[in-house]
Amino acid sequence: MRAQTLGIALLLLIGSGLAFVLESYSLLVLSLAALTATVGVGLNILLGLSGQISLGHIGFYAIGAYTSALLAMRGMPLGLAAALGGLLSAFIGGLLALPALRVRGSYLAMVTISFAFIVHHGLIEWRDLTGGANGLMGIPTPSFGPLDPGIGLALCAVWLAGASLWGFTVLRRGRWGRLLRAVKDSEIAAQSVGIAPVYSKALAFGLSALLAGLAGGLVPPLIVFVSPETFPFNQSILFLLAVIVGGIGTVFGPLLGAAVVVLLPELLSGAAEYRLLFFAALLLAVLWAAPKGIIGSLARFWGKPEPLLPPRHVDRRRLARYLDRSHGAEKGLVVKDIGIRFGGVTAAEGVSFEAPFGQVTSIIGPNGAGKSTVLNMVGGFYAPDRGSIRLDGELAGLAAWKVARAGIARTYQTTQLFGEMTVLENLLVAQQRGRFGSWWRDDGAEAREIALDLLSLVGYRGPVNIPAADLPHVDRRLVEIARALATRPRVLLLDEPAAGLMRADKEQLGELLRTIAGYGIAVILVEHDMSLVMSVSDRVLVLDTGKPLAFGTPDEVRRLPEVIGAYLGATDYQARPRAEPWRGSRDATLFVKDLTLDYGAAPVVEDVGLHVNPGELIAILGANGAGKSTLLRALAGLHRPVRGSVVLNNESIETLDAGAIARRGLVLVPEGRQLFPRLSVRDNILLGTYGRRDPVGKGELDAVLERFPRLKDRLYSPAGLLSGGEQQMVAVARGLMAKPSILLLDEPSLGLAPAMIAELYDVIAQLRDDGVTILLVDQMANLALTVADRAYVLEQGRVVRADTAAALRNDPALEAAYLGSQEKVA
Amino acid sequence: MILTAALVTGLGLGSMYGLLALGFHITNAVSKTVNFAQGSAMMVGAVLGYTFLVTANLPWVLALPLTLALCALYGLTIERFLVRPFAERGSDSWLMATVAGGLLVDNIVLFTFGKEPRQLPSALTERTVDVMGSGVYPLQLLIPLTAFALVALLLAVRRYTRLGKVMEATVQNREAASLMGIPVRRVVAAAFALSSVLAAIAGLLIAPLYSVHADLGTVFGIKAFAVAILGGINSALGVVVAGLLFGLLEATVTATLGSAFTQLVSFSVVIVALALMPYGLFGKREVVKV
Amino acid sequence: MKNWLKRSGVAAATAIGLCAALTAQAAETIKIGLVAALSGQSAKSGEAITRGLSIAIDEINASGGLLGKKLELVRRDDESNPAKGVLAARELIQKEKVAVLFGGLDTPVSMAIVPFANQLKTPFVGVWAAGTPITRNGAKENYVFRVSAVDELVDQALVNYAVSKYGAKKPGMILINNSWGESNEDGLKKALAAKGMASAGVEKFESGDVDVTPQLTRLKAAGADALFLVANVAPSAQVVKSLDRMGWDVPVVSHWGPAGGRFGELAGASAAKVHFVQTFVFQEGQGGKAGEVLAKLKAKYPEIKSLADVTPATGIANAYDAMHLAALAIKNAGSTDGAKIRQGFYAIDGYDGLIKRYQKPFSPDNHDALGADDYIFTHFVGDEIKPL
Repeated sequence: MRAQTLGIALLLLIGSGLAFVLESYSLLVLSLAALTATVGVGLNILLGLSGQISLGHIGFYAIGAYTSALLAMRGMPLGLAAALGGLLSAFIGGLLALPALRVRGSYLAMVTISFAFIVHHGLIEWRDLTGGANGLMGIPTPSFGPLDPGIGLALCAVWLAGASLWGFTVLRRGRWGRLLRAVKDSEIAAQSVGIAPVYSKALAFGLSALLAGLAGGLVPPLIVFVSPETFPFNQSILFLLAVIVGGIGTVFGPLLGAAVVVLLPELLSGAAEYRLLFFAALLLAVLWAAPKGIIGSLARFWGKPEPLLPPRHVDRRRLARYLDRSHGAEKGLVVKDIGIRFGGVTAAEGVSFEAPFGQVTSIIGPNGAGKSTVLNMVGGFYAPDRGSIRLDGELAGLAAWKVARAGIARTYQTTQLFGEMTVLENLLVAQQRGRFGSWWRDDGAEAREIALDLLSLVGYRGPVNIPAADLPHVDRRLVEIARALATRPRVLLLDEPAAGLMRADKEQLGELLRTIAGYGIAVILVEHDMSLVMSVSDRVLVLDTGKPLAFGTPDEVRRLPEVIGAYLGATDYQARPRAEPWRGSRDATLFVKDLTLDYGAAPVVEDVGLHVNPGELIAILGANGAGKSTLLRALAGLHRPVRGSVVLNNESIETLDAGAIARRGLVLVPEGRQLFPRLSVRDNILLGTYGRRDPVGKGELDAVLERFPRLKDRLYSPAGLLSGGEQQMVAVARGLMAKPSILLLDEPSLGLAPAMIAELYDVIAQLRDDGVTILLVDQMANLALTVADRAYVLEQGRVVRADTAAALRNDPALEAAYLGSQEKVA
Repeated sequence: MILTAALVTGLGLGSMYGLLALGFHITNAVSKTVNFAQGSAMMVGAVLGYTFLVTANLPWVLALPLTLALCALYGLTIERFLVRPFAERGSDSWLMATVAGGLLVDNIVLFTFGKEPRQLPSALTERTVDVMGSGVYPLQLLIPLTAFALVALLLAVRRYTRLGKVMEATVQNREAASLMGIPVRRVVAAAFALSSVLAAIAGLLIAPLYSVHADLGTVFGIKAFAVAILGGINSALGVVVAGLLFGLLEATVTATLGSAFTQLVSFSVVIVALALMPYGLFGKREVVKV
Repeated sequence: MKNWLKRSGVAAATAIGLCAALTAQAAETIKIGLVAALSGQSAKSGEAITRGLSIAIDEINASGGLLGKKLELVRRDDESNPAKGVLAARELIQKEKVAVLFGGLDTPVSMAIVPFANQLKTPFVGVWAAGTPITRNGAKENYVFRVSAVDELVDQALVNYAVSKYGAKKPGMILINNSWGESNEDGLKKALAAKGMASAGVEKFESGDVDVTPQLTRLKAAGADALFLVANVAPSAQVVKSLDRMGWDVPVVSHWGPAGGRFGELAGASAAKVHFVQTFVFQEGQGGKAGEVLAKLKAKYPEIKSLADVTPATGIANAYDAMHLAALAIKNAGSTDGAKIRQGFYAIDGYDGLIKRYQKPFSPDNHDALGADDYIFTHFVGDEIKPL
């Protein structure tokens, strides 16, 4: 930060010095380069800080230029005229953010392109004001006292560029910049820390347009003439080029980019007509070879900052002061009779509960019961069709960021941290709760201390000045909870915080939840892990198919027969084990050795080895997040690259893509079915044959359908309209049509009604008996172990046990660690 | 009479937009990207058509397939080098890459084909036929017919052929399609080829009415993308209908207010429509899950 | 600390390197500057001017150069963008130190350069852009000269032609919607008013328009008995095609836009119906200077095979004559000092040019070497421009 300020000061010095030594033409080039750099900095605010694109910045440049020219021609001093040009441009930029709110990416590009065209044609048609296509002439040259006007203007341009660079560094680190960057990284999470994306995006557009307008304001006295053709559409692309080539989000990127865009053609003026050709090629080269731009690519040589760690001891009194919010008359969050429908399907109905301050209230229920839907309604991401959500005032239907400001914070099933911001910044921006404050002031030391305390409280021990995206899974969950606390919530919503955690971590999480409640916060927990739920909750709400089934203390809920029925229904069903122990060829169909898989930071699957023999049914067990599904996806080729080897029928497949692997006979029936929803059931099933090399026999479809009789009447309806269970059957049938040499089933029972699970497992058992080789992953571990011959247990991406299913079924320790939760309820 | 002429012009222009927008629809459906070099494909079609038909003096039975084949190759190249490298690593730099690609192609053509606009002659623009009191070239009537035939063909292929099912499966669930053994990359590449061929057909059809030059496609391409958004980019029929409506709107504005206002009105419509209906006339909003 | 050293080091090195490159220079020749459209839709015009200037420069250099030095042409592309044009003009004047600067097709670009030329006291010679105020710019010391048509005079000529040739009583205007169209709208209205004639209306169209029938239909409905056309070649062709489609056979009297490219090819058979103004036309079997220059063109530019390849002759001829006139001015001045060259232009006595014999072409009151009598009306026959 200080270094950057010094760098800018030095550049300013050089720039100002150059203004006095250069001859007049080079002076003009210097001025234009400085103006281009200014526009570049503006675009960098938009692109680098708020993640929005604009192909229409020439429009803002033109607005600034025309405003300044028109005012100067009416006698206004240049400085004032240019400033007003900038302000008008900023205002229009803010307006343009309105459509920008609802669209992004290429749609936003279209909006900004349209804007540029409208400005261009507007300037031509509003002839009385703008002089039409002939433009404005007779723009007065400003007087700079004893200074030559050329030097004066060059100094103005250089100082404008310097000021915008300095403003950018301050903005990026400061409170305003954090709001922009938070929205860029995750609009959803930004709302849940109280940031209104509309203001943040409008701010980015406004600031960006301001700089473009200010720069444009200096164009008329420099060129002494403006016309619509002075601002051709291609220039917008060149502005973008300057930012991309220099490095999006870097401080000095736009400066370097402007140098390239303005000065390079001067050096190669003989080949001027090939300018656009050259720039287009340059842009492509940078996008291919150095996507972070020149400065961005050099940045990795700068070296990393010293790690900054949170304190070992938490100042609990300071935290208590921070988190304490006087509760007034209210006793907690009161939800009454809320419901919502999506496209005719009831997702939740008649849900009522209270979450008192200082207590943990849990919501449980099978998959698809509507737990997350309820959480999303409370958090403001869905507006309930009816019902009320009260915390001081009515919250139902308010925007998520308003709900967040009212004191409801949340975490997500898949963590939504602001990945490019540091851990500390994630907490600091949450403390702002969307408030802008003054853009130049840093947060006090107090805010940093509180952030560090919170990180320490949740048990985060890592460095706080690294990007959140680099964190391993467990730490992400912790930081997300800390971030939610940083908003000083009165209600904290946690969506499956224990997913993927080890037993020890879960216990710590349980303690943490009690501690948080101890600060007087109403904690609402959605969680699959029953032992966690039962140990920390004061009250439990049970949902089934969107409707509340029961609401009471853990002990009360545990005893209710309908709860046991709804939640554990499948446990009544006994899957059919193999009649005779498996005795087949040991010539493995699938052989996996030392398989390691990572997404950048931490390995998700590490050194896994397993084998599946022909005709065997092998189960893979493990907690949520242990890496089971990731492993199957990697085997099927959906995750690349992997390290280690995967051999299918004596052929290495670890480098092949999914299509090629499927054509070789390894077929995955993926989690969540993944049907083609608008194709008919028949088409879905027949697509399974796509990868086969042998001809498809006439009776094959009928033979497969014999296994799933209930699909016969639904053959011609779109697959998307089937029930979950029927869809799962279509998915399995589709997999069978491929005549796989090995069939991978990923969570086939997920979200199915008990009756359907039974039907499905009967089919799986039958397939096994018919000699189909199967690798099965299922959360219903007891079921999976019943049908399986052997099983592997995965923990944190590693195989920790491999044994026969029978041996594992009778291992009580294993049951406690991985399977136990369900039995404990009963 | 002005309105009849406007109607015919509008239908012709609208069909152009529709064909180009259909290309946007196809590539977007399979790859969730937008090819900003699509307008250049139209120009390349017209330029190659001129080169083969006029410069090389080939018979049209040879020239047209050759043009379309090369344009398909153009589409494959765009996908391979400007879209895939970015889309597959989750970057959205394909946007700037295709913008740059279009600019590059336009400039290469400028320096190879030449800076002067040229005229592609056509037997269908030699004399006019009378339609409700207005003189109309047969080609002007052929354009909407071709556009509709192509849309109908496309819909039929999608609905009734195995190739269509495979494409449809890739659109609906790319990952599941790859699990079926469908070579998804090749399907995406084919979509870009098809999209460029549609653009080339548009270019060949409009060229005799207009002229052949290096920046023929720029504004057409931009407007066609606007049309694709307005129609709801995930609806094939939607984008074609939106194209026709947009063409008619433009022709009507030109006929009544004058062409100075055409661009002002049409681009304002784009901004307002996107602000009010971000998913277009016929598009579907995707439910956000958190 | 290390960081900013590296970063600012890079930036400083870039800046210093560029400045060094910008100031390097030497002058063994007399440099002649040209700022014109070398890329984009109007690139053909830049090419024509370049050819005219080059032939003249070759002739001058062959006969020993000027002031004992050879002439050297330095070209810059203005991309038809006034801002770029000014930048290019300033570079040529201030960095390349050209003695005389020539301008291109686009009036807005020339208009943007005019104040600089006057301020920097460098003669700026227009050889194409016809905007009236380019030479009549109101400067006390006017450094802008022109060997080309002048819109105001062209407009008068167009009206006279429509009346004398076609007996037009109520002509309509179909104009391109840009600054050129705008300035001719004023000029044509003035010219009509001077004759006490009514106009059937003014219609504008865009260069990208595929169909101009709505505008033309309105003019037809208003009773237009002749059309004034002001547009570049491709849009002009769109007007002709739209007329064809409407089946409206109306006389079209045009500014010189159609001359800028392959109008014959673009507009088809009806191209010949458009009569447009020119300052000069090459013809087959032309003797004298014209034949000589044509031969030199063919020798220097092998891609010129027929008369169709030397369109627009206006650009070539204007540039050729203007270069020779400028050379005379420099000779008169005896130096490359701008102020002296300006006086040198006034001192030109007579010169036998390609377009005509110039007699005292310039004076402080008249900076236009060509007048209303120097226009000829022409039309396309096939790919060639033929006088009428």
